[in-house]
Amino acid sequence: MDYLYDGSFEGFLCCIYAHYYKKRAEGIYPENHYQRTMLQPFFIVETEAEKAEKVYKAIQNKISNASLQRVYKAFLSNDIQKETKLLNYLVLGFRIGKKVDALHSETVVYQVQQLEHKVAAEQHRLLGLVRFSAIEGKKEKDKEKDKEKDISSDAGRHILYSAIEPDHNILELIADHFAQRFPEETFIMHDIKREKALFCQNGDWYLGHLRKELTYAVSEDELEYRKLWKKYFNSIAITERTNADCQKRCMPVRYWKNLTEFHSYP
Amino acid sequence: MPGLDVMLEKLKILADSAKYDVSCSSSGADRTKTNKMGTAAVSGICHSWSADGRCISLLKILFSNRCVYDCEYCVNRRSADVQRASFEPEELAKLTIEFYKRNYIEGLFLSSAVEVSPDYTAERILKALSLLREKYGFSGYIHAKIIPGVSAELVRQIGMQADRLSVNIELPTKESLAILAPQKKAAGILTPMRQITNTMKEQKSLKGAGNRFSKLKQGNDYLLNGMALPTAVREQEAKYGMVPYDKGSLHRFAPAGQTTQMIIGATPESDRQIIRMSESLYKKFQMKRVYFSAYIPVVSSSKLPALLTPPPLLREHRLYQADWLLRFYGFSAEELLDEDSPFFDLELDPKVTWALRHLELFPLEINKVSMEELLRIPGVGNISAMRIVRQRRLGAVTFDDLKKIGVVVKRARYFITCNGKYYGAGDIASECIRERMLSQEKIRSGLLPREKEEQLSLFGSERRNLLYEPKEAARGLLV
Repeated sequence: MDYLYDGSFEGFLCCIYAHYYKKRAEGIYPENHYQRTMLQPFFIVETEAEKAEKVYKAIQNKISNASLQRVYKAFLSNDIQKETKLLNYLVLGFRIGKKVDALHSETVVYQVQQLEHKVAAEQHRLLGLVRFSAIEGKKEKDKEKDKEKDISSDAGRHILYSAIEPDHNILELIADHFAQRFPEETFIMHDIKREKALFCQNGDWYLGHLRKELTYAVSEDELEYRKLWKKYFNSIAITERTNADCQKRCMPVRYWKNLTEFHSYP
Repeated sequence: MPGLDVMLEKLKILADSAKYDVSCSSSGADRTKTNKMGTAAVSGICHSWSADGRCISLLKILFSNRCVYDCEYCVNRRSADVQRASFEPEELAKLTIEFYKRNYIEGLFLSSAVEVSPDYTAERILKALSLLREKYGFSGYIHAKIIPGVSAELVRQIGMQADRLSVNIELPTKESLAILAPQKKAAGILTPMRQITNTMKEQKSLKGAGNRFSKLKQGNDYLLNGMALPTAVREQEAKYGMVPYDKGSLHRFAPAGQTTQMIIGATPESDRQIIRMSESLYKKFQMKRVYFSAYIPVVSSSKLPALLTPPPLLREHRLYQADWLLRFYGFSAEELLDEDSPFFDLELDPKVTWALRHLELFPLEINKVSMEELLRIPGVGNISAMRIVRQRRLGAVTFDDLKKIGVVVKRARYFITCNGKYYGAGDIASECIRERMLSQEKIRSGLLPREKEEQLSLFGSERRNLLYEPKEAARGLLV
């Protein structure tokens, strides 16, 4: 029996619940990516908060907190087999308990550990590879209104916007970092690939939907700082040590299109 | 603020002059929820990688490149014909905050040439840092360079603004310093270093380098190799050593510790001298890091390698590997290199070289030996050693498990047994292992940029001479 779910973490936990209380699952897949076959029966699992909560608590209490974190991080990976790998991990975990954390040589554990590692690595990498642009927070007519009312146009003048395209769904993992770093700024981090965005103001954030195409006007001095940064980026490299392979290994080319330093400015 | 063109020009000149400083890390300070612009992540964060493959974490820049000193090795020396520029404190603070806001950088790394005098320069640096911290409310990472010969009070004040301080030792012996940087005195370098260490000791934040397996924390007070402190310095220390600091303040003195850097290949010192020097710096001053910078000839001088000499990148790489062995693997400098072989093997990494010289200690049984011994096996790192120890509590580790644990099996196999069985294909004679390792190592050498000068040869000792001979030959031609 294959279980299908709605793609949310809660939905996945409900599949684990069904695995134990209904029928053994052979694989778990998100509904919209499932390849139906004649031979394999499948069942669509409803997402229920109560059941998800139960499984969540069970992982925490019967396995460990570390495993719960590992499972959550691995769940955010873009691996197509992730649910099934996690199912195997949890089955082993519920059988042997906390020991599963340190069972590095077990294939089931190794696979999940690899997923976790990839997600964590990209999470850390993205902390550096996000580039914000200052964009106009108010439309022209709002500005005129402000002028009429004699409100200083300095308050809430700009918003920071950044577009990212990470391999894994790591937006929520980097949210706290940026919310703490820029407590006085309003910013949007836009995961273009998943059409998701993180909206943050005064240190609070929430996730929401944001479509791919977006038009915005950058603020007046934005272009100047981009040019300055590009100038710095080019000046800091030592010609005698040029090593493009190393650069690409540390900063894969797929990230370049959203990096200010690789664009050209008039 | 001056116009964009002026700023672009200044940024270009002053970044260009700063790029030979190798320190890049933004680690060591842990500051979250500051309620102001900026945090500091304890692990450090890289924001970009420049065309030379080095990471860009901090805005590494000189305050000014107008220098009154005339150090032979330096691109900014007084007699050099380069464009000169200086920032105003306000310009620099504004630039930093705008870059930071866009997440281009993790913070600021501010250094400077000696404009007018060390104290004058340090005051300007302090002005810029205070503006950044107070006017702009910046609480991100700041690394400030202390210029040799600066007064104790200024060191203290800069330390209160910055997260990390560094005084560059530049050359590993007093003799080289006297030849290449006649205006810098060993005492001028060591005094602020000592002061920084003492101040941190006083506020109980002196942590030093490495992990709990490192031998650097035991505080053996070795005399610095050829750089024993003169009496005058000791007297000064007595005077300034106990620098008072404001206990109630939120600000602490250099929370991320201090570092230094040495230039490699400009002078004839051996790897052994360099690595012993860095070990004593770690022990004596409890430095966080000692950086190495492969010398890139920027000026033509009879005292230095000729202009066309390629930088000794592979040598620098080996020294960094050795530095890791000191800090995280419990090796001592004395073990890594002895008087008979004062240079590292450029073909194999220092841990393998060490293991091949001590074959009598191997093979080690993975399932029995202690953590300290595991760390001595080539191909086993801190994480994999920890995993082995954790895992074998649950059951014996098998040879097939090692790869999943993260051990580099192709390197480790010659030095271990697993449940009593040896997997290194029979022969443990050092030459044989070496041959096999080398063929693997050559595949990996893509790690470093390819150059004719650095090409691998099978004969280690001749290879070393090659590094120096072309320099001598070329010197005759150019000068």
